Amino acid sequence: MATTTTVMLETTTAADGAEQPLLKVDGLSVTFFTPTGAVHAVRDASFEIKRGEVVGLVGESGCGKSTMAYAIMGYLPGEPEVGGAVYLDGQDMAELGPAELRALRGNRVAMVYQDPALALNPTMKVGLQILEAISEHLTLDAAQAAERMAELIESVGLPDPERIAESYPHQLSGGQQQRIVIAMALACDPDLLLMDEPTTGLDVTTEATILDLVADLKGRVNAGILYVSHNLGVVARIADRVVVMYAGQTVEEAPVRDLFKDPRHPYTVGLLSCVPKPVADTGAVTRLQSIRGSVFPSAQSDPGMCLFSDRCPMATDRCTSEAPTPASVSDSHESRCFYPDDVSTDLWDELVEREAPHENGKEPTLTVKGLHRVYGKWQRKYLFFGPKVKPPVRAVENVDFEVGAGRTVGIVGESGSGKSTVARSIVGLVPRDEGDLELRGEDLPAEADERNADQKASLRMVFQNPTSSLNPKLPVRHNILRPLQKFTDMTASEREERACELLESVGLDASYMDRQPLQLSGGQQQRVALAAAFAGDPELIVADEPVSALDVSVQAQVLNLLEDHQREKGTSYVFISHDLGVVRYVSDEIVVLYAGHVAESGPAEDVLSTPSHPYTEALLSAAPVPDPDATPTPIRLGGSVPKQHEQFKGCFFASRCPRKIGDVCDNTPPPLQTSPGSPTHEIHCHIPLEELARLQDSSVATLG
Amino acid sequence: MQLGPLDAATSIASALLRALASLVRLALRTPAGRIGLPLVVLHVVLALFGQALAPYPPTQFHIEDHQLEGPSLQFLLGTDQFGRDVLSRVMSGATSLISVAAAGALLGIALGTVVGMSSGYKGGRTDEVVMRVMDAMMSFPSLLIALLVLTSLGPNPINIAGTIGIVFIAPVARVMRSSTLAVKSLEFVDAARLRGEPNVYIIFREILPNTLPVLAVEASVRFSYSILLVASLGFLGLGVQPPSSDWGLMISESRIFITGAPWVALAPAAAVASLVIGVNLLADGIKQARELPKREA
Repeated sequence: MATTTTVMLETTTAADGAEQPLLKVDGLSVTFFTPTGAVHAVRDASFEIKRGEVVGLVGESGCGKSTMAYAIMGYLPGEPEVGGAVYLDGQDMAELGPAELRALRGNRVAMVYQDPALALNPTMKVGLQILEAISEHLTLDAAQAAERMAELIESVGLPDPERIAESYPHQLSGGQQQRIVIAMALACDPDLLLMDEPTTGLDVTTEATILDLVADLKGRVNAGILYVSHNLGVVARIADRVVVMYAGQTVEEAPVRDLFKDPRHPYTVGLLSCVPKPVADTGAVTRLQSIRGSVFPSAQSDPGMCLFSDRCPMATDRCTSEAPTPASVSDSHESRCFYPDDVSTDLWDELVEREAPHENGKEPTLTVKGLHRVYGKWQRKYLFFGPKVKPPVRAVENVDFEVGAGRTVGIVGESGSGKSTVARSIVGLVPRDEGDLELRGEDLPAEADERNADQKASLRMVFQNPTSSLNPKLPVRHNILRPLQKFTDMTASEREERACELLESVGLDASYMDRQPLQLSGGQQQRVALAAAFAGDPELIVADEPVSALDVSVQAQVLNLLEDHQREKGTSYVFISHDLGVVRYVSDEIVVLYAGHVAESGPAEDVLSTPSHPYTEALLSAAPVPDPDATPTPIRLGGSVPKQHEQFKGCFFASRCPRKIGDVCDNTPPPLQTSPGSPTHEIHCHIPLEELARLQDSSVATLG
Repeated sequence: MQLGPLDAATSIASALLRALASLVRLALRTPAGRIGLPLVVLHVVLALFGQALAPYPPTQFHIEDHQLEGPSLQFLLGTDQFGRDVLSRVMSGATSLISVAAAGALLGIALGTVVGMSSGYKGGRTDEVVMRVMDAMMSFPSLLIALLVLTSLGPNPINIAGTIGIVFIAPVARVMRSSTLAVKSLEFVDAARLRGEPNVYIIFREILPNTLPVLAVEASVRFSYSILLVASLGFLGLGVQPPSSDWGLMISESRIFITGAPWVALAPAAAVASLVIGVNLLADGIKQARELPKREA
């Protein structure tokens, strides 16, 4: 009760004209009751949001970020026990009745959800859905409401409001859908906007434009914004202040620059050191770090200790016997740690310098030549007759690259760029239509079923989602023994022994053999999948977004394991990711794909520095970097990857290219240009390379 | 090393046993299951030991003094037109009905599972052809096909079970195909293909365990339909032949006395009804329990 009285005092003084927080979350706790027992989703979380301020809320999955957002809305599922208080403009939300809450939601507090496709009703035109939001809270006549709707659509940066309003959600791209959801949230000029991972499902280029919109809104709407995200780069770009959550507690709160430059909680430092960063100026590249263990089991409740102590490298006896409270480090900087002054950036192991990559061997492990893949057939107007009306979907066209022994080729691109088709063609899950694959100079059959055991053993794949790539009904043992049985002629006991070794090599012990995959965390599952991929001593592993489904804290474990295995065995990798930071970190060579075409390929450092293809440039500019001082060149791509059945007469990128030079781009396929300094660096573009380099260097440089 | 057929059989059997145990646990978590399970167990006990527990032999006549007698202490459910004890006949009738129904349902489920899963896994044109054939089979009323087969082959328990098995291929195949399609798209199936596993292995070792919950529910539904079908065939005179105490046959034989001696028809009818209701409740209970929040995270 003591805290409540102080709050009341504060709000009364605030009314005198001092700055009053728009939102004050005070000691909030949310406990759900499940058949297994109580789950403490949020415990003792406190922070404030002022008008016109963007507060970022970050943490791993399971830290209670989303629950926090829903608790502020007063919209929690089930019947949880809620402690503490949430004040909106000094008004205790708990004192409001259901009708008042209903009026409040949408009107004063609005929410933007993660998946716009689920937040919009697929059977209603989006204009009608925005009108619904308007008419629910405002009393406007039809003409005024329509005007307001058009205004809203324009205010979220969508051109041609009439056409957009008449569209159904499926006719819009993911980015456009999210803009509509934001427009609905803005319908009644809310005071507080809650955004729950609004860009997580979107491509980086789209994400960048949405973030620009949020930054723009901040200046326009005079609302407080709570931006929930797992991505530190995103938060660094738009937040004014950042709140870090761990196991339901707020562990650190600081202005964005302080948090990124001078973190004062070991968890924050851990999160920051897990993210692959651009190559430092010194040229030294350090190994990624990971936070051992996983989030404190939320079902457990032991308030008598620091919840992070079991994962913290600087934990002492005091940490396990006493609970820390948030303490001020400086004016606006709070940390829930006993030793905030001892926290330093090299807290998580010393920074180990990475070894230089393998030299490119004489003979490439894998050669991809002219890979071509089309899905479906021409569709005719009347089922079997009539003119051909719809061409097949072209997934990949004319993709060439080589993977040297012991080297990593990274493939990047937005969704729809054909990355996965390339991966699946290499391993033989998707047969190619044209083109050749060679493994050590030998021809590879198109389909996995036609390849011999040796070829199958040499080419393994790691999938994106470890939960579905391990059979949930079969134990870990099965997943590792089975490839050994298929690919080696070991006896049963030898296999058993080897399986244990493999598990140990990925940092799991033999006791995991009889666990069921669903009992493991995502990171552990992916490590089991790695062990299974390593089983046949493969020469090449195709990894299709292997860390995209994982938290940053465990992402590093998987990347480091891949790297260690490569050093030890000389395995080559084809590493596919949409995350430029990760690709930059792991790759020796990079292939940039756009709409099934190679836009640019070559040694990693050449591809990422000027001159680069305009598409690569746009990707680099869009990629969020966990550094609030980063000032990337503001290049934004509108629209989305063209529907692949469009026939490209000219350049495949012409429809979105920010550096388009004229009709030649629309009418002539771009020539292949090789940079004079680096003969393997190839760019498909009409602009001469010197010109491209000059243009790119003159726009704000330093992309790292 | 290839997987021997014996290994496959034992692994499937142990998987089924484990599935059974978990189903019982699931069933007991809902009210429907808590009512259905005892009913089904009661009938299974009757099927196994009914004849031994019955107070009289089912075919014993008390023709002189006890024809069509109402329920009494001597004959708890009365007697029929030949003075046979209705209770004893109902109790000993469970064996033939449940065993034939179960055999038919099992056969149908086994065949339907193989057809449906193979067709779904294979996909493409094969799948299209197989499923259209299944649609054609489903367009015949099942009783009609059964009558057709049994009049030409003659009614005996093996023919009845076989007929039911064939009739059930199509509906089971349809259900199993759709759940195979859902599992097939998961990445562990791709992983198995990349290991070079044969299709049979992928279908039965990798996919089947993931469809067991669906299969279990489908099996119970099929079993209750199978009971009704066997009873209907008995009623139409194409089931187990007199003087055996098949429930359908008993209802059929007693229907001329139904105004004077309703107990003779009611007792076997109630037996069929309680069995079918029990099986359905059990299936519902399991289905509901699966949708309840899982106990483990």
